[in-house]
Amino acid sequence: METLPWFLLLLPLASAVIIQLALKYSATASSMLSTLSVVVTFIISCFLIGSTAEGYQPWISIGGLDLGIGYKLDQLATGMMIVVTGIGMLVHLFSLGYMKDDKAKARYFAGLSLFMFSMTGIVLASNFIMMFIFWELVGLSSYLLIGHWYQKNSAADAAKKAFLTNRIGDFGMMIGILMLWGVMGTVVFADMNVGHFSGLCTCLTGAIILLIFCGAVGKSAQLPLHVWLPDAMEGPTPVSALIHAATMVAAGVYMMARVFLSLGITPENMEIIGNAPDVIAWVGGITSLVAALMATQQDDIKKILAYSTLSQLGYMVMAVGLIAPEAGMFHLYTHAWFKGLLFLGSGAVIFSCHHEQNIWKMGGLFKKMPITSITFLIGTAALTAVPFTSGFYSKEGILHAAEHAHNQPLFWLAVCVAALTTFYMFRLFFVAFLGQARDHGAEKAKEVPLIMWLPLAALAVMAFVSPWLSQSILPIAQSWDLNLHVMPPMNTAFFASIGAFTVGIAAAFVLYFGKDKDPVNIPLFRNKFYCDEFYARLIKYFQDALAAIIHFFDEFLIAGMIVGGLSRSATGIGNMFRRYAQSGNLNSYSFLMAAGVLLVIYFTVFY
Amino acid sequence: MTPTLNEYLFISGLLFAIGLGGVIIRRNIIVIFMCLEMMLAAASLTLVAFSRFNTVDGLPDYDGQVVVFFIITVAAAEVAVGLAIIVSLYRARQTINTDELTSLKG
Amino acid sequence: MLFALIIIPLLAAVAILFGSPARLTALGASLTNILLAAAAVAFPVDVSLPILTDLGIHISLGLEGMNSIMLILSVIVTLTAIYSGNCPEGREKLWFSSILFISTGAIGAFLSTDIFFFYAFHELALIPTFLMIGILGRGDRKEAAWKITIYLALGSIVLLAGLLLATAHLDSFAFSDLKAIPAEHQNHVALLLIIGFGTLVSLFPFHSWAAPAYASAPVPVAMLHAGVLKKFGLYGLLRIGMVVAPEGMAYWLPWICVLLLGNIIWVGLVTLNQKRLDLMLGNSSVMHMGYIFLAIAALSANPDNSIAQPGAILLMFAHGISIALLFSLTSVIERKTGTLEIARLGGLAKTAPALAFLFGLAGMASIGLPGLANFAGEVMVFFAGFADWSPADGMGWVQVTTIIALWGVVLSAVYMLRAFRNTFQGPLVTSTQYAKDIHLDEKVPAYILAGTLLIIGIYPNLLLNLLK
Repeated sequence: METLPWFLLLLPLASAVIIQLALKYSATASSMLSTLSVVVTFIISCFLIGSTAEGYQPWISIGGLDLGIGYKLDQLATGMMIVVTGIGMLVHLFSLGYMKDDKAKARYFAGLSLFMFSMTGIVLASNFIMMFIFWELVGLSSYLLIGHWYQKNSAADAAKKAFLTNRIGDFGMMIGILMLWGVMGTVVFADMNVGHFSGLCTCLTGAIILLIFCGAVGKSAQLPLHVWLPDAMEGPTPVSALIHAATMVAAGVYMMARVFLSLGITPENMEIIGNAPDVIAWVGGITSLVAALMATQQDDIKKILAYSTLSQLGYMVMAVGLIAPEAGMFHLYTHAWFKGLLFLGSGAVIFSCHHEQNIWKMGGLFKKMPITSITFLIGTAALTAVPFTSGFYSKEGILHAAEHAHNQPLFWLAVCVAALTTFYMFRLFFVAFLGQARDHGAEKAKEVPLIMWLPLAALAVMAFVSPWLSQSILPIAQSWDLNLHVMPPMNTAFFASIGAFTVGIAAAFVLYFGKDKDPVNIPLFRNKFYCDEFYARLIKYFQDALAAIIHFFDEFLIAGMIVGGLSRSATGIGNMFRRYAQSGNLNSYSFLMAAGVLLVIYFTVFY
Repeated sequence: MTPTLNEYLFISGLLFAIGLGGVIIRRNIIVIFMCLEMMLAAASLTLVAFSRFNTVDGLPDYDGQVVVFFIITVAAAEVAVGLAIIVSLYRARQTINTDELTSLKG
Repeated sequence: MLFALIIIPLLAAVAILFGSPARLTALGASLTNILLAAAAVAFPVDVSLPILTDLGIHISLGLEGMNSIMLILSVIVTLTAIYSGNCPEGREKLWFSSILFISTGAIGAFLSTDIFFFYAFHELALIPTFLMIGILGRGDRKEAAWKITIYLALGSIVLLAGLLLATAHLDSFAFSDLKAIPAEHQNHVALLLIIGFGTLVSLFPFHSWAAPAYASAPVPVAMLHAGVLKKFGLYGLLRIGMVVAPEGMAYWLPWICVLLLGNIIWVGLVTLNQKRLDLMLGNSSVMHMGYIFLAIAALSANPDNSIAQPGAILLMFAHGISIALLFSLTSVIERKTGTLEIARLGGLAKTAPALAFLFGLAGMASIGLPGLANFAGEVMVFFAGFADWSPADGMGWVQVTTIIALWGVVLSAVYMLRAFRNTFQGPLVTSTQYAKDIHLDEKVPAYILAGTLLIIGIYPNLLLNLLK
């Protein structure tokens, strides 16, 4: 039992290394090896449910610093492992079909294995440095997989953007880790204690929490670092399902839950970290609203789902900020399954329509691809919180948390987002799956092969049963209480949720049912609030211009004026000496010599 | 009345200064050369004077006079070489004026 | 054994000048040196030979932890430098003997436990560096050679003044006699050492020699200088500066902080604006020196900081390996495509996947990706910055500097990923369309260096244990 968790970490790593070193030219063997490794890790994860254990290996230990690689198994970690390896397994299976004809299949599967390794590391991490290490490594694997089709400019740019945006978040996170270490004297989660915070200014403790939260803002694509996630859809669709919907982007929420759990921050003692929770909750709330608004006007099926992911992540972050990490983690858990389902479903659609992603060029897919369509509808239902689907319970939990925290503005904001979610998801469904085929890609579409629809079916089942499998499978801590009832109490949250769904689906039906082109056009939403343009200008006119100015100064002021000036004055003095002293005239030489001799005599005899 | 050591030294110093002044001021190499000889003569005079006034067992210290002979010999050789150089210099450049012989300048 | 480490490359260099087969001799000497270095690190024996007893100067060599790591760095980079680059026809003698001379100087400087020879060996290594840049360099080689000569000579003079001043107070040249000099003299000595050593390490604002010199230097020289020789200054500050003038270093702490931020932020932005790969890498190497100075700043603030020195040494090692790898691969790129202008490259990963993999690995190492050696060093340096922080008193100089310096991690990611994206990704262009992949011969040094980065990155304790 002690060594078993190491296998979780090492198997995918071994798979990635072996593929890179030995199997680079054998695509089939690579894909098999990678899939096998994730199946085994899934089985191990199932074995580990409910167990608690710790392991440790030193990494840097010198002087007063002791950093290590260790695992800490508790329900939060084992539950998260089920999500990661479970969805990872299904995505690997799906990829076997989806990437069948890709030329760089080996590289793709090596990337997936590397990702599984890194994500496992985040989940199992027993200390903050290990979490940061794997935090960066998931960034790397995400970079590699987004840039899988690197010859496309858009894919290469998206990969770069994702990595850099995450780096900005990690910048804050690293400062936070350092400050937390300065306060706690340790980076090990188990040794942390909120007691160290007492006596410190809440501005400092709040800043620490917020700086750590910066990492989550980057990784979970919260405002203002959300811009990379929609672009990340340039990667292969299974990657979007696994990394950019279900697991990696949720790591921010997991990390914050882990921090709150380790520090022991509860609603009772939350004033010790000042206003930080409010800031977190509002960042999440605003992200979810803005992203939902953007999603309503997108035409690319993956972009709609990406903005929807942003919006749902905003929900989870909001729950964390309301000091209800159990609600956030529960939503993470259910969301992972149904969002994975939606993405894989969109992948199946894209696969069948010959890599067409525009929903206005689809249509009528329900008849041609019944299995995909039904599973997609189930995923949509779960996402839009239709009663008795998994999403219904988790969204209920978040609404309840907002209500419980007496945060009326956030509660109503969340309800609005729920309505918008229903609206844009059914817009997508009506346009892409119903009506008539509007392009020959969609006309020729046919049902995907078994290896691809099997994962869809499995995920569709999970979209219903995931909350009820077992309380111990959920990625929550035992100390948190999660009230789960088949029939939730009839309170404001319940009615608001039902009301939001009704409003959303009604609006979508009225506006989009049977339409061939978009009757609504809101440029602000369509252009994502001009965030990308704003950042592009910021980079161009601030960072790059500043770099150019600094470069100019460096070259002409330091290298040219100061250093060049010094060397020029040195040559100048030398020239003067040459011209006047070294005249070539015999008499002046003899005079100088005589003067020198006299000086020597004077100094030796008389001085 | 025999001259004292100081008087000899004064004369030789004067001779040396005149020679040095000539080397520095004059432009004609022949004259400079003669001035150099004058400086050598000044040095020889000093040596002889010291030899005369530094007695060993009642006799002058002949070491100094021996050195003078060396100087005279070397000076003779030097004059031979130096004049030869001056002659060939004149053949090459058609001048022995130091103001015009400045090709060593930097 | 330690003498052999210096004498073997020296003899080999002389032998090459007298006509022994250049490449083979050089390879043989550097391989022997690797084995010897391993043996020496395993069984360290100090040696000493009196040279100028009147002045108390001995040629004494010793291994004491810090310099074991520098020794390992030197021998690895020497071997790979011999493998790298493209020696022009007919200049093998100069090429390979210069590499070995530089290596001799570097190894000698790091092994010396006597201030005089510590200094003298470094100067010995600089001469072939100038020669190689001036004679066999590329582009504006004369200007670059002059620049590096003037800068490093001036820096060395200032350094010499500082060292002599220190030894005058110590009355000894031996490292074993190093101790804090009287407090009233520490400030001057510390200033001279900071400027002297700083110039050799391209501390801002004495940095403008580095990038053009590395860009025009022959590749092995760039590898050896940026990878190994430059670390001399940092090693000197850690080994001598911190010992003889701790209070002086503390006195100049604000200046060190400002200047190192100049390295990280100012030069980082300069790097961002570079249009050629080699100039970019040269500048990035200047930028990364800032992080090692951050460790020195942490140490200046509190000489008892137990993390700063190992962090600095680890980062020096990692940076040396990664920059050598990057320079080596850059020359491969130039040979395959004929250009280093970033704008004229693109899509190279398609035609040269192995090259792309190696360059990506090296680039990721240099921007501090976990799992590669640089990250371990950087993390230690950052932790060193916060080791003496007492949260109740707010931030001190070192903490604020650390936080600002962390932004450099973002900057370096920006320029490295931009360069990688424009060189290796995107559609193919004329220069890369028919480029060949990296050849086996060129892979050897790359795999040695990349392997070192990985091993140390995964288990840094391997090196750190040498410091205990």
